[in-house]
Amino acid sequence: MEQLSNTSGNLANLPADGDETKIVTEMLQYIVIRLGDEEYGIDINFIDNIVRMQHVTRVPKVPEYLKGVINLRGEVIPVMSLRLKMGLEADEITRDSRILILKVDPEEGSVGVIVDEVKEVVKLAVDQIEKVSHDGRSDRPIYVSGVGKNGDQLISLLDLSVINLEDN
Amino acid sequence: MDVSQYLEIFLDETNEHLQNLNTQILNLEQNPDDMDTVNEIFRAAHSMKGMAGTMGYKRMQALTHDMENVFSDVRTGAIKVMPDMIDTLFQCLDALQEYTDNIRNTSDEGTNDNEPIIKKLNEIRNSKGGAAPAPAAEAPKEAAPEAAASAADGEKWNHIAFDESQVSVMQEVLKSGKKVYGLNVEINADCVLKAARAFLVLKALEEKGEILVSDPPTQDIEDEKFDLDFTLVVASDAPVEELIAAASAVSEIAKVTGAPLDFDKIKTADVEEEAAPAAEEASVSAAPAAAATTAPAPAAASAAPAKHNDKKASKPIATKTIRVDIEKLDSLMNLVSELIIAKNSLVSASTGNNASGNTNSASFNEQIEYLESVTTNLHESVMKVRMVPIESTVSKFPRMIRDLSKSLNKKMELYMTGEDTELDRTVVDQIGDPLMHLLRNSADHGLESAEVRAERGKPPVGSIFLDAFQEGNNVIIQVRDDGNGIDPEIVKSKAIERGIITPEQAATMNEQEIINLLFLPGFSTAKKVSDISGRGVGLDVVRSNIEALSGEVSVKSQLGVGSTWTIRLPLTLAIIQSLMVVVGGEKYAISLASIETIETIHNSDIKYVQNEEVINLRGTVIPLIRLNKVLENESKASDDGAMVVVIVKKGDKMAGLIIDELMGQQEIVIKSLGKYIKHAKFISGATILGDGEVALILDVNALL
Repeated sequence: MEQLSNTSGNLANLPADGDETKIVTEMLQYIVIRLGDEEYGIDINFIDNIVRMQHVTRVPKVPEYLKGVINLRGEVIPVMSLRLKMGLEADEITRDSRILILKVDPEEGSVGVIVDEVKEVVKLAVDQIEKVSHDGRSDRPIYVSGVGKNGDQLISLLDLSVINLEDN
Repeated sequence: MDVSQYLEIFLDETNEHLQNLNTQILNLEQNPDDMDTVNEIFRAAHSMKGMAGTMGYKRMQALTHDMENVFSDVRTGAIKVMPDMIDTLFQCLDALQEYTDNIRNTSDEGTNDNEPIIKKLNEIRNSKGGAAPAPAAEAPKEAAPEAAASAADGEKWNHIAFDESQVSVMQEVLKSGKKVYGLNVEINADCVLKAARAFLVLKALEEKGEILVSDPPTQDIEDEKFDLDFTLVVASDAPVEELIAAASAVSEIAKVTGAPLDFDKIKTADVEEEAAPAAEEASVSAAPAAAATTAPAPAAASAAPAKHNDKKASKPIATKTIRVDIEKLDSLMNLVSELIIAKNSLVSASTGNNASGNTNSASFNEQIEYLESVTTNLHESVMKVRMVPIESTVSKFPRMIRDLSKSLNKKMELYMTGEDTELDRTVVDQIGDPLMHLLRNSADHGLESAEVRAERGKPPVGSIFLDAFQEGNNVIIQVRDDGNGIDPEIVKSKAIERGIITPEQAATMNEQEIINLLFLPGFSTAKKVSDISGRGVGLDVVRSNIEALSGEVSVKSQLGVGSTWTIRLPLTLAIIQSLMVVVGGEKYAISLASIETIETIHNSDIKYVQNEEVINLRGTVIPLIRLNKVLENESKASDDGAMVVVIVKKGDKMAGLIIDELMGQQEIVIKSLGKYIKHAKFISGATILGDGEVALILDVNALL
């Protein structure tokens, strides 16, 4: 019993010993994912779960980016390809591929998105985030709500309304 | 005072009362002298008034109050039931319905005072004044028993048998300069949580003073061991009015009376005639307006008809129900679903074991069979909890037909059977609109005018029938009329005129096929558009509504004799028996309810009609659908010329679905595909198989 509480105490202390103890100002947490060569940040508040790639049951006669449905602990969850949805090349499923279960709008229920890799969790202060201006020259930035600067690393912050857009 | 938490109960009960009033007033129109009906209406109006008052809906309260007055006069025989009075009463109900709808949508009753209706109600009361005691004379008569009643129970505290210690405590308190009051609190008869109300009253009073004596004891009050009222002796600095106000502020309190305790009266059993004036005044002014003026009235008044009428007023037999939040039922249902999935995975595990020759499999199978029977029973009982009689939906129809009869100037009568047929709650809630549409259709287009009926030798009063009954795993609801029926020729020319079919197509169609065109979008055969039906949106909406409930609708008609609309609905929606099939390596479920037979055919059996593949199955020509083409995958069936065909039907239509492989029958739990997948044609849902894999459920209705 003593052992147990000791261990958990150590665990709880661990992050506090780390270098990121200055969480006082408004910090937003993002999960960094990789799609192709680019890294994107997804607001952690919208992420319900991260699961390994598994068999996806194909649903006929739906847009191509809807890959099908999976069974997540007894619930049927639709899964979409974030790459196809964003107009990128089709997914290449590897050992690193993951399905992020998102809950963007409680009315709409959960949806899974396939990503190439889940890298890390970053904390960004509000002043580390720069809004993206839509100059209309490229159509890519509509999927990005801002850019986060984490040291040298630049993370495009994904605008999750992308998954709610009707067929494009 | 926050009453929002009671809003749901209020709305539910108001709807029940409105429904009841509609039925009873219809009844009254047929039997104007039926005192039982009058009493029932009075009671319903009275409860509604009380509820509206408690919830603070003043306009609704005012209207029900005037309605109640009319019936109070009818009861005393002061006025007689007249046809125009019935019309006014129906208008009144419509207005109340409007209030209720407003409340449901905005939690506010709206601003319509409905003065014309109130005026009419008052006119009814006044115009009949000559035939009965003048209304002026009535008022005091009404007030008299009330005053007497409140005087009688107004000073209940004087009946309490105080023991000596209690009396000495009271005297102590008096000496300390505080006042000692007797209070009597009466709770609304329809209050659901009496103990909770009483507790709130006690709490409110304790803030103002000290409760010295309580009859029954406070413990009993908190355990709800009291009737409708309880009596308290309270010591306080505050004036009695303040205490009464504090107690009255609690909702669902019918009446609070109170007065300084008169030590001379204590223990004297007899109640003096002169009630303490203070108490009298206070009771009227402070009690919630809703109940204060009338609470004792029903008691006094209902005694009167009982004397006239030897037989007791037949109270409707209250169905013993509890209101259960549908979400709670859903979660119970989900649990059952999970149990079934767990059972299915056990089953698949056991078949695996058998293959590897496990010796324990015999007892294992026994256990599984046991689990199977338990889950099936559990499923059935949960389903039954969700079932409600369709009565709640259909009971509004007689009223609607009556109104239609007047506005269309056609004589008609609605006959209903099987109102007690039960269906899933969700289905019952949503079947109302399609049924209403079909009934309106029958009334407007179906039934002929009186002249035509006379010509055809039909009885002058048209008949519309609404029959509901159970048939296997389905519930059938039929709307039938003895009217004109559907003229295929008119339908045909309309369809050609609107470009729905070409004249060539029309020539090849039989009568039934032509009549079925009615269900296509944008079809209305009414020669003139009326506000009853024939607005172009109609039968196609009826059909899509019913299909959304996994049901189907069909029509049979004979020109000049009448038409019959048949709605077929599944008993349950959440769990179905299905046939599992494999197409192109993917597993699909087909609802057993839509499967006719399963056939094995050979390539050589396939014939071609208009370039479509068909088979001739025992004399019936059935079109074939290659599922792998529809579902866009590669068939993996061995190419030996034999193939499995599942014959499915939808109404009279049949089709043969060519599949790769049969897996067997399975009970499946229907899950939605989620809102992100909106346009999955041919798929009605998904289910989770025993091995955790997701299989899709084929929408046979969309395939045909």
